Amino acid sequence: MTSAASSGLGHFIPEAVLLAAAVASMFVHLFAKRGGRRAAGYVALAGIAAAAVALALTPPSAETFFAGHLAADGFALFFKAVILAAGALAIVLAFRFFNVEGSEPGEAYYLILLSMIGMTAAVSATDMVTTYVTFELFAIPSYVLAGIFKKERRSAEAGIKYFFLGTLSSAVMLLGMAFVYGLTGLTGYAEAGPLLAGGSGLAALVAMSLFFVGLFFKAAFVPFHMWAPDVYEGAPTPLVVFLSTAPKAAVVAILVRAMTSLFGGYSLEWSGILQAVALATMFWGNLAALTQTSLKRMLAYSAIAQAGYLAIGLAAWGEPARMAVLFYIAVYVVMNAAAFGLILLVGGGGRFDESVDGLRGLVRRAPVAAASVLVVLLALVGIPPTAGFMGKYFLFAAAVDKGLVLLAAAGALNSAISLFYYFRIGKAMFLEDAVPAAPGAGPAVPGSVSRSVTVVLALSAAALLLFGILPGLLTAPAVSAVLGR
Amino acid sequence: MNILGIPILTLVTFFPVAGMVVVLALPGSRTRAIKLAANIFTGLEFVATVLLLTRFDASSGDMQFLERVPWIKAIGAQYLLGVDGISLLLVLLTSLLTFIATLSSWQAVQKRLKEYYVFLLLLETGMIGVFLALDLLLFYVFWEVVLVPMYFLIGVWGGERKLYAAIKFFLYTLFGSVAMLVGILVLRSQHQTFDVLAMLAAGPVLPVALQSWVFLAFFLGFAIKVPMFPFHTWLPDAHVEAPTAGSVILAGVLLKMGTYGFLRFSMPLLPDAARRYAPAIVVLALVAIVYGALVSLMQKDMKKLIAYSSVSHMGFVMLGLFVLTPMAAKGAVLQMVNHGISTGALFLIVGIIYERRHTRLISEFGGLASRMPVYAAVFLIMTMSSIGLPGLNGFIGEFMILMGTFPVSWLWTAVAATGIVLGAGYMLWLYQRVMFGRLANPANESLKDLTLRELATFLPLIVLAFWIGIFPKPFLAVLDKPVEKIIRVVNPAHFEVPR
Repeated sequence: MTSAASSGLGHFIPEAVLLAAAVASMFVHLFAKRGGRRAAGYVALAGIAAAAVALALTPPSAETFFAGHLAADGFALFFKAVILAAGALAIVLAFRFFNVEGSEPGEAYYLILLSMIGMTAAVSATDMVTTYVTFELFAIPSYVLAGIFKKERRSAEAGIKYFFLGTLSSAVMLLGMAFVYGLTGLTGYAEAGPLLAGGSGLAALVAMSLFFVGLFFKAAFVPFHMWAPDVYEGAPTPLVVFLSTAPKAAVVAILVRAMTSLFGGYSLEWSGILQAVALATMFWGNLAALTQTSLKRMLAYSAIAQAGYLAIGLAAWGEPARMAVLFYIAVYVVMNAAAFGLILLVGGGGRFDESVDGLRGLVRRAPVAAASVLVVLLALVGIPPTAGFMGKYFLFAAAVDKGLVLLAAAGALNSAISLFYYFRIGKAMFLEDAVPAAPGAGPAVPGSVSRSVTVVLALSAAALLLFGILPGLLTAPAVSAVLGR
Repeated sequence: MNILGIPILTLVTFFPVAGMVVVLALPGSRTRAIKLAANIFTGLEFVATVLLLTRFDASSGDMQFLERVPWIKAIGAQYLLGVDGISLLLVLLTSLLTFIATLSSWQAVQKRLKEYYVFLLLLETGMIGVFLALDLLLFYVFWEVVLVPMYFLIGVWGGERKLYAAIKFFLYTLFGSVAMLVGILVLRSQHQTFDVLAMLAAGPVLPVALQSWVFLAFFLGFAIKVPMFPFHTWLPDAHVEAPTAGSVILAGVLLKMGTYGFLRFSMPLLPDAARRYAPAIVVLALVAIVYGALVSLMQKDMKKLIAYSSVSHMGFVMLGLFVLTPMAAKGAVLQMVNHGISTGALFLIVGIIYERRHTRLISEFGGLASRMPVYAAVFLIMTMSSIGLPGLNGFIGEFMILMGTFPVSWLWTAVAATGIVLGAGYMLWLYQRVMFGRLANPANESLKDLTLRELATFLPLIVLAFWIGIFPKPFLAVLDKPVEKIIRVVNPAHFEVPR
């Protein structure tokens, strides 16, 4: 074994690759002329690809590294793969977005990478200090990403909102961590956990609640979701793909680690909290989505509701539940990226149509894209044979096995409710004819259908079908990630 | 066991998907090739299902041609297909009606042909899969696969209020299915398997209280599909707005998925709960029989009339299943087939007149018999089949249900019998108003009689109607053992009565 591997550095080559790519992308952007900023994006994409290769070559390890601050177990590796996928999808979609938008803030590329480094480290963190530092590391670039079009009011507003509420919630989380430290004098999850379980219950519960508030905020769980619709609606769409998926994956990983080791003695309590959060998030997200007229805002609420299903799996403790959570987070990233990608499909001349009407009659103009979107919609609702169904199934089954039948029933009911708004999109694409531009209604959006977005949608749909028909392909890595093999 | 080493059930299930791929590969402008390919594939599919008969052992009540492959190892779900007499009849009905529906669409469907046939073929795979799956998760997957193509068939090629009808159909049935999914989850959590055969072998391990909850969850899924009173309100909208082929398949096959679900899953897997709720379900079935018939009497639209008559007929099937006697249950399964034949044909009959006149209002017609003698004859046969004239298929099924019901309760039998009388009323009155009398409406002067293609679509249905009516033995023979096996589980008391 080389010295790098024994000191632990060998297990974090993906992060190193991402960092190198971020720096390279930054320099390319710095020296590129106005038209050459795309090169920074290509560098970033190549960096993600290289990091993915490095990740595939990294063996899971049961040890923790750097004085117990970081783990490189199968669990962390699984989440890192999910985060890499989310980043890559966002960058590919960003190419299309910047083409239409006519300006290219190339710093977005390396900001995405920097944020990803924070996330990949956060899913490894097994210590409160590391958790907090990595959490901020991925949060701060994401605030900038939300407001990257600083001259556009919507984007700037999204950035400011995200920043203020985000820092507030991390402060609350930090307070929770301070409580834990005050109670135990330790910062490591595995070390502090037993002391916490044996100590005074109420103070530990307060600490846990404060800790969770910060995480719930970042995951946009109801009732800490208020920022999400505004930010998702205001931020540039490809960056919403990133902001609505990758941070949630990182937060779920942190939550699972904290719940199983740090607050392992309070499983009944955190299960209760998460049950309430799951119910509130699913119902609020779905019912609010029903009332939206803007496609982007509807999808924003859908992203909230989808995270509610995840909370079901978090509430149902145990290994099958964790497997279900891992499966669903991977599926969620693909579904959600494709759903927001849909907005980028039709557009030109600096704008995209963000209403459902813009998709009317799409099946005539772009049958492949329409069919792919249909698969994505079925997955979002949870209809077989898509991975969206399998993911929801695993979550509900884990809940039922723990006796949470009503929670599973609520989840199933929500899946039926969500059909109504998701299929507004399906209806527009397949059942309605394109609206002729009404005279005096302003210029219609130039209706060129993007080939690159079609490819992304088709690949997403293929993946959702593949993992829906043969879920074993995804459950096997998820199971081994959970069991640490 | 397979035929010639081919996994025949997989072939039968996924052959339409192969057809779908072929249709997808054809360029959209070559309409003739698309129609031809779709017809060839559904035709061959029918032949393939008939081939099942050659190796099918009618003397056995067990599942045959079993195919078992691990599917999702993490949760123990299997790809498990099998067929017994009950599924066999329904699979044959499905492949026949789908073929007929495809054939009948040759002229009727003019827009977006490629998508139309793609959805039709996908629908067929879903329906066949429902009748063959013996793993609850697999069953659920097929069950849901049916929803999407039917939604599009109604929504794209339907009538004026198609968008409303399509989403109503989808929402109602999805609501029922997710309830069923929760039931499946609980069953699986108790049995630690999705394998229906293993669950049956293990016996009812669930306590009665839990069984009742699971039964209610399944009930929502199946009862909405049947549809039972008071869950039937999606049906008239969906049937009326769907294109003819859609109505044929909807009434002919989709409704049977609900009754099949009761017979295959609810009754044997949850026998104590089924016994407990049987009287309530029978009452709902009786309400449906009478209510459906009364509402049919009031209809001005031919298609709506036939749609409501389905509520009444499916009430009969539910009655037959839940009096829990082998005779009535066999009659119920046969009646599922009969209803597929007669109602499928009646929807085709309405579709033909609609294609020519673009109206379905009864008041627009009258005296058609003089212009369309062949059409009149076909209509008459199917009317008689629907009202249960002896010598035709409907009589055998209804008679067996009534005969099986009588020892249990003469009152139920009497109420159900009034449904038959009312049924004769609305059907004969419909026939009289449309076919007899003077040809008063000048728009009907130039109506053309059936073409050869149209007649060909009816021929197999007419043959079957007479065959089942005159010599039902081969059909009942395959049902004897499997139905008795289920009734023995759910109502053992019936077999203990000294003779």
